[in-house]
Order: sequence, then structure tokens, then C-alpha cells
Amino acid sequence: MILTETEEVVVKETKTIKEDTRPDAIKIENVTVSFKSKSNGLYTAINNISLNVKKGEIVTLIGHSGCGKSTLMNTISGMVSPTSGEVYANGNLVKGPGPDRGIVFQNYSLLPWLSVFQNIYVAVDSALKDLSASEKKDLVEKNLQMVHLWEHRHKLPGHLSGGMKQRVAIARAFAINPKILLLDEPFGALDALTKGSMHIELLKLWNLDNRDKTIVMVTHDIEEAIFLSDRVVVMNDGPAATIKEIVDVPLDRPRNKKSIVHEAGYMDTHDRLLSLLTDKFDINDID
Amino acid sequence: MKKILTLDTLYTILAFFGSLIILGVIWELVAIVTDREIPGPASTWVVFKELIAEPFYDRGPNDKGIGNQLFSSIYRVFLGFGIGSLIAIPMGLAMGSSKFMMRLFNPIVQILRPVSPLAWFPLGLLAFQAAEGATVFIIAITSLWPTLINTSFGVASIPADHKNVGKAFGFSTWKYITKIMLPFALPHMITGLRLAIGVAWLVIVAGEMLSGGVGIGFFVWDSWNGLSLEKILIAILIIGTVGLILDKMFSAVQHAFTWENK
Repeated sequence: MILTETEEVVVKETKTIKEDTRPDAIKIENVTVSFKSKSNGLYTAINNISLNVKKGEIVTLIGHSGCGKSTLMNTISGMVSPTSGEVYANGNLVKGPGPDRGIVFQNYSLLPWLSVFQNIYVAVDSALKDLSASEKKDLVEKNLQMVHLWEHRHKLPGHLSGGMKQRVAIARAFAINPKILLLDEPFGALDALTKGSMHIELLKLWNLDNRDKTIVMVTHDIEEAIFLSDRVVVMNDGPAATIKEIVDVPLDRPRNKKSIVHEAGYMDTHDRLLSLLTDKFDINDID
Repeated sequence: MKKILTLDTLYTILAFFGSLIILGVIWELVAIVTDREIPGPASTWVVFKELIAEPFYDRGPNDKGIGNQLFSSIYRVFLGFGIGSLIAIPMGLAMGSSKFMMRLFNPIVQILRPVSPLAWFPLGLLAFQAAEGATVFIIAITSLWPTLINTSFGVASIPADHKNVGKAFGFSTWKYITKIMLPFALPHMITGLRLAIGVAWLVIVAGEMLSGGVGIGFFVWDSWNGLSLEKILIAILIIGTVGLILDKMFSAVQHAFTWENK
């Protein structure tokens, strides 16, 4: 345990030096979100959270169900307004949803009466009004090719498998070319094999884009969090959830799914996350 | 699979004829019990053949062929149903999409909905100064409720997931209405229209009995005055058959617009 800690400190230091040059894509400042609930008055989901995410960084939010990780992410997307505090995305105060932030929803949220092509086209049509019709169509084609679904473009979402639906949802989010990509448990409903290939697809798309996009992802899968992200934000259980700890992932990119599991950095991070998530009653035992 | 399907179709056809035979037997029994005061199928068939021989004759305002009577009723039903739907659909969309509109108009809907069509008839006469207008009016006002209620329910139950898509990708109001609200509400709306055409067809007979002139309802009343019970029975069978056809038509439309089944 002691050894792990020293290693982590070293890694943290080298990382901070490397990251300093990148600007913040997302700044969350003292954000509290409370809801009015029918049964017991005011319910505070997340309490006074601050978090900065660098441009091009992949950060995952992890925690137990109902800990407010989705709420925190929704303050970035603008679907939820903070009760107090402020969120900045790409330097602008977040006042509502906007096409500079692409969202991939937990349950895909494709419109079932529109074909795969149309689902992406309406999004592009709304978000990128200045483009001509043919430019929009090209954009849809490019993104559908990217997720290998071009030949399925005429199908309705009801005819696709879960993995295919998720690829459509990802293509839709990428098509509007947002600077920030927000993924809410995007692979939660997929089987392990499909999930694995989706991880690689996602990183491929991120690479193709020169690793320029900032990605924030909500998950409760430790392996997924480590494989994909630069930092893992572990949250306390709600109500009034806060950040318990931010764990850096000391693994170089590109990462190989098969070989990283044998690396010391992977195993240490995995242990660390596991103990953070399981020993939720006594954090001092670990520290 | 295909063999089972044809067997199933065969059973359906057999059952259909079976049910026709049951109806005929009951009818004949009723005729026997009432000592032929209510005519049986055989004598009704004779009158039916006479009626159908010249369905579109026109000998003055009170003497028209059965086809003329039927088509003028269908015309009135569609006119009243059309006017009712033109009111019901926008109202339903408005009530479904806004809680304020729902609260504002729902009490009116709940009070007026259970009113019998016949109670509206004098008001219609007063407003339109004509039986024709009054008939269309009562059809419109009684057939609009199912459409209104189903449409507003459809719009009100759009899942948050679909709404979020509109929010996340910055849909304009028009795009939201055309790409999310209407497609989602459409199956509900068509269910409402299907119920509404059924109501309209129920109301037409009563309306035309009051209004007179021409129409299948008037034909029933006129046959009663002429003591031709065969004609009344024929009219009842025609009314039932047309009602069934209208329902099947809307059921086909409903099926065509339900994306869940595709």
C-alpha cells in the first residue's frame, strides 16, 4: 500500500507538469444541485463540487447508483441548472444545453420513427444551421461510415441491436462536432464483448480527431473507467454527494486492452478504485 | 408457419359464416315467436332485393333510393367528423403540451363530453336555422371528444428521453413539433379518430331521425311510419355493416402509422 502511494504521487507530479499547457475545457465551481421532492422537501443531490477538466482529457465519473454522477454531468450539458455555483464549458457560462456539448444518453435516445440516417440528420440540421443540405448529408455519411453503419442507414432504430444503437448515438454526438462529449453510462446496457469493442471504437474516434475532444463519461464499471480515462473521479454516496477522490490513471496511450491489465499501474489503480468504492464507510482505513 | 397461417384464415372465415348463421337463426326464431310481426330473414331478403335493384332513384324530397340515403348520411358524418377533428386535434395538441392549457380547458371537456348528442340538437337548430346544419353540428360536437382526449394524452406522455434529444441538439420549436411531438402523438391521435368516427356513425341515425329530409336515419323513421319493418331491419344491417367498414378503414390507417409494429 505504501509503495502504491509513492508511485501515485510521482505519477501525479509528472502528469501535472504535462497537463499545465492545456486550457480548461470544463470548469465546475462550487456547484450544488437540489431538487424539490414531494416526500421530504428539498433533496440535495450534489453538494459544493468543484472540478476542472483539461481540453482533450478523458475523465470518468464513478460512484454507486444514485450518487449524483449523472446530475453532475447534466450540469455540464445544461440539462440541469445548478442551485448554486457555476459551470463553464469552453469558456462560456453554461445556461442550457447547446451543440458545443454533444451528449450520448444512457438509453441511446434515438427517435424510433426516424431512420438511422434521419436520426443523425435532424441533429446535424438543428445544431449546424449554416451548412448547406449537401454538406449536412456528407457529414451524416462520414459519421455513419466511421461507426460502420452506413449500410444500415435506412433502418429504424427498432431493428438495430443495442451495440448498433449505441454506435448511432455516438455518431450523432460526433456529427455535430462538439468540443466536449458527454457520455452518460453509454455502454451500461451492452454485453461485455460489445462493450469492449465499443471502447476501442470510442478511442479510435477520439484519436481520429487528434485527441482534441474533451470527454466526460459516467460509469460504474471500474475496468471501463481505467481503460478509457486519464482521470477517474470517485464520488461519495448521495444525498449531498461530493468528490471522494480523483485517481490518475498512470497508463500511456495507446492502451492495449489485453496487455494493460498486467501492468502494475493498472492493477494499483484498479485496487485503489475498488477500495474507494467498496469501503465506503471508513475512508481512513485506506489512507 | 405459412400452413398454420392459412389454417387460421380458414377458421376465421368459417367462424364468420358461423356467426352469420347464428344471427340468422336467432332472427328467424324472433320472427316465429312474434308471429311474423317482426319479419324473418326470408321476407326481408325479398324487400332487400327490391331496394337494391334501384338504389339511386330520386322521386322528390321524401322518396329517394337506399343508396342516396346512405351516401348523404356518410357525407354528413365525414363533414361533422372533419369539423370536429379540426377543432379536436389542435386543442388536444395544446392541452397535451401545456399544463396550463390542460388545467384551463379540462373542466370544460369533462362537463361537455358526457352530454347526449340529442341535447345539442335544439341549439344546433337555433344556430344554423336548418336541420342539415344542426345534424352536422351534433356530429361534430360529440365526435370531437375522443380525438381531443387521445391527442392530448399522446402529447402529454412524450417520454423525457425524446424531449431530451430535442434539448440536447437544439431543436427549434417547429422541429420539435414535427420530428418529436407529432410522430409520437400520431398513433394516439389516430386511435382517437377511430373512436370518433364510431361515435359519429352512432349519432347520425339519431340526428337524422330528428332532422328528417334524407339519410339512413330518416329512412328508418320513414319506414316506421310506412310500417315497413323489413326496411327497418335492412337499414339496421346496413348501418352495422357501414360502421364495421369505417372502423376497419381507420384500423388500417392506425396500423400504417404505428412505428412500433415496424
